[in-house]
Amino acid sequence: MEDQACPRCKTTKYRNPSLKLMVNVCGHTLCESCVDLLFLKGSGACPECMVPLRRNNFRVQLFEDPQVEKEVDIRRRILRDYNKREEDFGTLEEYNDYLEEIEDIVYNLCNNIEIIETNKRIEAYKRDNRDVIQRNKTRVGRDESALEEMLELERVQEESRKKELDELETEHKKKKARDKQALIEELMYSGKDAAQIVTEFAEKAEKQREEEKQLPPPKSSNEFSTGIKFGQTADPTLIPVPKSEEGPLFVYEQLIAITDGPTPPPTDEIESEGYITHIRPETQQENAGGFTSTMACERALQEALQGLFYTPTAGVAAGI
Amino acid sequence: MYPVSSQKKSWTFANEAQLLGFRVEQNSKYIEEHESECQDGDLEEFFLTPAEERLLLKQYEVYLFDFCRRFDPPMPKCVVGTAFHYFKRFYLNNTPMDYHPKEILATCVFVACKVEEFNVSISQFVNNIKGDRNKATDIVLSNELLLIGQLNYYLTIHNPFRPIEGFLIDIKTRSNMQNPDRLRPHIESFVDSTYYTDACLLHTPSQIGLAAVLHAASREQENLDSYVTDLLFVSARDKLPGLIDAVRKIRIMVKQYQQPDRDRVKAIEKKLDKCRNQANNPDSELYKERLRRMYTDEDDIPAEDASFHIADVSSDTSAMNTSQ
Repeated sequence: MEDQACPRCKTTKYRNPSLKLMVNVCGHTLCESCVDLLFLKGSGACPECMVPLRRNNFRVQLFEDPQVEKEVDIRRRILRDYNKREEDFGTLEEYNDYLEEIEDIVYNLCNNIEIIETNKRIEAYKRDNRDVIQRNKTRVGRDESALEEMLELERVQEESRKKELDELETEHKKKKARDKQALIEELMYSGKDAAQIVTEFAEKAEKQREEEKQLPPPKSSNEFSTGIKFGQTADPTLIPVPKSEEGPLFVYEQLIAITDGPTPPPTDEIESEGYITHIRPETQQENAGGFTSTMACERALQEALQGLFYTPTAGVAAGI
Repeated sequence: MYPVSSQKKSWTFANEAQLLGFRVEQNSKYIEEHESECQDGDLEEFFLTPAEERLLLKQYEVYLFDFCRRFDPPMPKCVVGTAFHYFKRFYLNNTPMDYHPKEILATCVFVACKVEEFNVSISQFVNNIKGDRNKATDIVLSNELLLIGQLNYYLTIHNPFRPIEGFLIDIKTRSNMQNPDRLRPHIESFVDSTYYTDACLLHTPSQIGLAAVLHAASREQENLDSYVTDLLFVSARDKLPGLIDAVRKIRIMVKQYQQPDRDRVKAIEKKLDKCRNQANNPDSELYKERLRRMYTDEDDIPAEDASFHIADVSSDTSAMNTSQ
């Protein structure tokens, strides 16, 4: 904020905190009071570049650099005509070329390069593509009106909800008054102890307050304020997540135990043949871990028999 | 499963001649590399011969067993077995002249403790070592990676203990032998004596286990031959000769074992002090120098060991610097 100053009257943001800088199509800045002064008649020339300007084209400067402001302006104007969409092109390359052309034009106009030629180019483009531009304009209009409709709908909903809340509130107030009346009447006409009546009523009120707290939550909406629906099937315009390449599916293969020795007894024989009686039963802790003495017994037997057939000639180790 | 293990694939050898071949090869390779260190000219006098190396290692196997037996807290049997495996495997591909067995011994036990899930911290471990404990810590920790590298990272060891349990269960279930548990002391002493032999590099753990059981049975005047022939191998009679041969060989190996002669070993150790690789001797100047350089600037000092590729690269760059 240090040097925001009007180039004409040299007022700065520091001296006048309410200073509002304005900018016009040429990209030069003026403060609000200078604009008022210079463009009293509605139109005039820019004090910097002498370009004729209209007063109602002045806008509040949003960006610190007026050049950016100018570019935004130009871009908006250009895009009014260059409003083709990707669908209007055969290939992505053509569309990219088109986008690049827009950028070229914007750049040229911003930096005052071949302005006349560029303007001619725009004119030619407008002539050649008149109906396309027109069509797209109406399409944009349609999109915009749809959005507006959505906003309107939302507003109506908001209003109805507010009304509901108000009603609830008044109802609540009325009830409170009634309760109060009842309490007084009770105190007046009943023969009970006054203190007891008061506590009774206080308890009742407490209970009611408790209930009110559990009011139904605002009904969940299935739309963002922008009108985009959520919690439903994805918007068709969104690109689906690309499916990752999957390898071949896992195929279970039975583990083949290579014994290289006599066949060990199968699991069901460990118990039926009495092998199990010669091994310590598992402790509670071991059992909790999923180990049973059958497993240990089977493993010992398997390891005893594995490799008994081994002979050096059958498998000569090659060292490391 | 032993039949698909790395132990079978890479560390079970055909016969003793093959083991001898490895050991002689390592010995001559070392002598070739360090020939220049011998001033007298008599290589045989200066360097250890393969037979001397064998004797030395046998003595250290005795030390290894004693170390394990006295270890506090007492270690399970499988740690001892695993440590012996590591020790034997290491010296198949290295010579004691390169790495002194007393250092490798401690490292083997340390790694075995870890692999067999017998949890001891390094400080607890070195409490079992006499002498300078800080130095011992350094040696064990710095040799640890070397050891598992030399084992080619095959750390799973199949010891004969579980097979023995299996045989005992089977004998109790299927044979009519009275109280097989009385075999246990004999089995244990037999397994202990197989540690001093190369049996674990030549036979499968189940064969060693069966040999131990059969040996124990003969000690108790029992005969389990019918158990083997009629129950174990009933459906595979043709494989029986191979097994009988293996068991016989294991028992002969154990029987033929002799404790090394103390005086000879002492002479060999003296010889070793002179011819050992000074770069791996923690007391030598060369070792300290190497360590110092490694710690001060690890990045640009090439490692002494020629097997590092970095050495070649940095010598190239230094040549480039001088030419500029």
